[in-house]
This record gives sequence, structure tokens and C-alpha cells, in this order.
Amino acid sequence: MEQDLKTSVKGQILSIKDLPTLPKVLDEVSRLVQDPNANTDEIAKIISRDQVLSAKVLKMVNSPVYGFPGRIGTVQHALVLLGFNVVRGIIISTSVFEMMVKAMEGLWEHSLGCALAANVVAKHAGLPDPEEFSVAGLLHDLGKVVGAVQLPELHEAVAAAVREKDLRWFEAERAVMGFGHDRVNAWLARHWNLPGNIREGMSHHHSPETAQLYPDTAAVVHVADFIVRVYEFGTGGDDQAAPLSRKALEMLKLKLSDLDRVLDEFAVQLADVSDLDLA
Amino acid sequence: MDDICPLRGQQAFLLSPDTELAELLTGLWPPECMRFTVFERGRRAIEHLFNDPPDLLVVDERLPDIGGAEVASLVKSENVYRQLPVVLVMDREGLDQPRDWDQVEVDDFLVRPLDPKETRARVNLTMLRAMRALDANPLSKLPGNTSILQRIQQCVDSGEDFALAYCDLDYFKSFNDKYGFSRGDEVLMMTARVIVNTIRAFGGVRSFVGHVGGDDFVFIMPPDLVEEACRRVVQSFDSIVPHFYDAEDRARGSIVSVDRQGVTRTFPIMAVSIAVVFSTEKRRLSHAGEAASIAMGLKKKAKENPKSCYVLDQRER
Repeated sequence: MEQDLKTSVKGQILSIKDLPTLPKVLDEVSRLVQDPNANTDEIAKIISRDQVLSAKVLKMVNSPVYGFPGRIGTVQHALVLLGFNVVRGIIISTSVFEMMVKAMEGLWEHSLGCALAANVVAKHAGLPDPEEFSVAGLLHDLGKVVGAVQLPELHEAVAAAVREKDLRWFEAERAVMGFGHDRVNAWLARHWNLPGNIREGMSHHHSPETAQLYPDTAAVVHVADFIVRVYEFGTGGDDQAAPLSRKALEMLKLKLSDLDRVLDEFAVQLADVSDLDLA
Repeated sequence: MDDICPLRGQQAFLLSPDTELAELLTGLWPPECMRFTVFERGRRAIEHLFNDPPDLLVVDERLPDIGGAEVASLVKSENVYRQLPVVLVMDREGLDQPRDWDQVEVDDFLVRPLDPKETRARVNLTMLRAMRALDANPLSKLPGNTSILQRIQQCVDSGEDFALAYCDLDYFKSFNDKYGFSRGDEVLMMTARVIVNTIRAFGGVRSFVGHVGGDDFVFIMPPDLVEEACRRVVQSFDSIVPHFYDAEDRARGSIVSVDRQGVTRTFPIMAVSIAVVFSTEKRRLSHAGEAASIAMGLKKKAKENPKSCYVLDQRER
């Protein structure tokens, strides 16, 4: 029974044709891609704040059409390789999320916060290419967005379980469906040929110790997810902080006392983006 | 109004006993664009075709001695002639017969009665399509050598100022040897896209990007923008290329592979070298070959630097 649900849900998830986003971000990017003076860096900066647009460009640049699947993990690189016309095409064909704006704003903020936190954590752990950790942080809850669009009834059932049984979203997903958004992320990341580190960050952020190839990325996203919950920036669908895995800190060779500095730096970065009006 | 003639100095063969058709076709293009040689019978024309292939072959199905489709497949079965565009002229009734277009190797067809304007447009399009398809690099789909030389010559002939940049990759061979050609192709695809998108990002200027083959690329830009273009290509390439290495090689910043002498050696991460030649008032290039030979000299200089870099020809600056 559970296996049947998983199979049918997986088919539904992977058949997603259109990932909608929030109107404000889309407007901003649309304006920039029409501006002949705008450069790739500026456009990358805005796209990097939106999980759906970031997922779209990464999915496209890693598709077999371009000839290097699974290689590109940052929005900046994706834009250089796709070129303006393709990016403009992606933006034009993205629709907005009018229906779900209210419900989804919090998730957008949470994802953006997690991207920033992942960058800070990766830097403090002395890891190279913090940009890529940001992307993994940004996309860590993408499965929830795709679930809301493709499986509205299941999504509603999970939300109801969160409200009524006082569960965390991840627990409610497993209670209702038998698996969580981490699974959904794994399907999407593999289907879209995203690079291995981003894939494992997306699919193992609840259990970084089970990541096989890129435990660092999974651990960074895990810690980042915790930090952004502590600051209550946005919401992952529930209002409970996920427990912090001590293992994750060990994997990154960070002590609890290091977290203070991480939190301080994150607070500064958060101030820069919290005036962003997403909806 | 007549179309702009997109073709120059083309030779065409018409195989047809129909004098009306011959008259119509030869009247469609001024002789400096396209000149027709007419053969009333098919068999005799074939030897001419093989000895001195034209740029276009028009075959009439009304040939008395051989089927039009047969002529087409004779031509298309030999790779030397394969790229020659073949247009079949058919009667309306001929279209009613079921046929397997996969077996009839023609590039286009015309149906009697022929409309002159449509015929000219169709034939022009067929020839241009064949030229584009012929000279595209199969991997990057960028224009290849023939188009590159043509474009350089056009620039030279027009007398306009331009800068011509030759790019190639350092340590590409060792990468290919270690990781295999399919990973090598990934890097070439990436390089092609970096160059194309960087050059195209300079909106509103005339530019051109070609793929000579292997890890050699060419681009043409206005002289005042070329240095900035080189800087951007180098910067994008350097930041992206490490992602095409395995994690441990990337962390070490080098790979271990066997060199041309069979000795095991350590090779750095790939880099891009760009040599830029100018044609400006101070010094005009006189033909495409001159540009290439100057660039080859410069490339040696660029290659002395193991890191990505560009070298501008100082002689005329």
C-alpha cells in the first residue's frame, strides 16, 4: 500500500511542468532581463534569492541538451552558460503563485534564510565554494513546493496533521505519506541531473550522517536549517525548530561555541535581506 | 521586388529534357549569383557530376533514361558528394504515388507548375541550409573552418576594423587522456558556451564565434571591446572548469596523467589561452591566412603562461 503511494506520488512529482514562483521576485527578474545594461552578476544575485527560479536555471543547464549534466551548481555559472536569451525564455515562461502566495511566503523566506545560513556555516567550517552550499540550502525544501503544486490533497492532509497533532512538518509527511520531502528532493534532484553535492544537501539535510558522497553539504544544510528556525525567519510549514544533530556539528568540526559566531554573522546578513518584500 | 541574392558564384546542374523548365530556372538568378548547366539526359551528366560537382543539383523526374531518385541516391551514397543539395522536380501526379522519402535522398522538391518566386526562394533556402549544416561543428554546432575563413575574408574585404581572437585550452589532452573523451567533450561544450555567451553579451555589435575543431575556437569582435571580452572569457572559464574534475583532483588542483612521451606527469587544471590579432587603420590584414599566421606566433607566447591569459598583438597597436 505504502509502496503504491510512493510510486504514484513519484510519477506525479516528476511530471511537474511548471514551477510557479512569487510575483515580486519574478517582476524584479523580468525587469532586469529586459534591461540591456543589466549584467549577469546582478541577475544571478536576484535569481539566487528564489528557490524556484534557481531550480529552473540549474535544471536547464544540467540537462543533457547542453552536454554536461550534473556539473553546474551555482546560479552564476548557470547564467554564464545558458546565456541571456535562454534565461529570458525561462523568466517569460514562469508563472506566478497567486493562489498560494499567502501560504508560501513563509517557505520562500525560510529557504532564502537557509541559503544565507548555509553560506555562513560553510565559511566557518572552512569549506571551499560556499556559493554551492548556499544553493543546497536554498533548494532544501523544494520538495514541499512541488508537493503543494502537484499533490494538493496530500499537502493539505500534511498541513492538517501538523495543526491537529502538533507534529513537525517532516514528521507529518512521514505519518501521512510514509516518506518526507527529503525523498521528493532526491527524486527531483536526480531527475534534473543536479550535481551530487546539491542533491545530497537536498535529500539528506534531515539525516546528514546518512549522506554517502557529500556529507559536508548535508551537514551544512542541516545546521543552516536549524539556525534559520532559531531566528524564526520564515517558516518551513510548522513552527517547531528541528532538533540540531550533534553529529552534524562534529562532521563539520564545529563546536557549539563556534555557533555563536555563526549566529552573529548570520544576523548581520539577515538584516540585509529582511527588508526584501517577497510577496 | 526581387529578393536579395544570398548566393555568389554558384554553379548548378539541371537534369531535365524540359526546355521550359530550363528557361524558367536559368532566368531566376543573375549569372553572378548562379549559373546553370543543363543536361537533357541523366546518365551522361553523372560523370560530369562526379568529376566537377556543382553547388546545386536539380533533377527532373521526367528524365527519359534514369529515375530522378536514382540520380539523387547515387550522389548521396558517396560522402564526398553527400553535402550537395539535390532538388527534385515532380509532376502533380507523381506526388500522388506513395513514396518512402527516407529512400529518396533529396533535400527538397518542386511541383509543377512552378511558381518563379516560390521556386527561387525555396532553392535559395535549400542551398543556405545545406551550407549551414555542412559547416557546423558536430559537437558545439558552431560554424566550422569554411565559415570562419569566409567570415575573416569578408571582414578583410570590407575594410572595417576588427579583432580576431584565437582561443585554445592548455592541458586539454591530459584531461582527455585521464577522464576519457566524453568528459573531454563536456569541457568543449562548456568552453563553446562560455565564449558564445560572453561575446553575445556585448549587445548591438557585430561579432562571430566559430569552432575550428577540437579545443580551438575563434571569435571576431570590434577592436575596442576585445580586451574586455577576453578578460570575461578567462574569468568565467577559470571559475567553471574546476567543476569538471573529480573532487580530489579539484582539491589538489592537478591531475596525474601520462604525457606524449609515455612519462607519468602532474598536469595543472586546464586554462584558456587567447591570442588576439587586429586589423585596424594602422595595420590592415590583407587576407585570412595572414591573420592565422600572426595568431599562431602569439599563441606560443600565451602558452608560455600556464594560467589562463590573453595576448594582444602589439605590432599594430
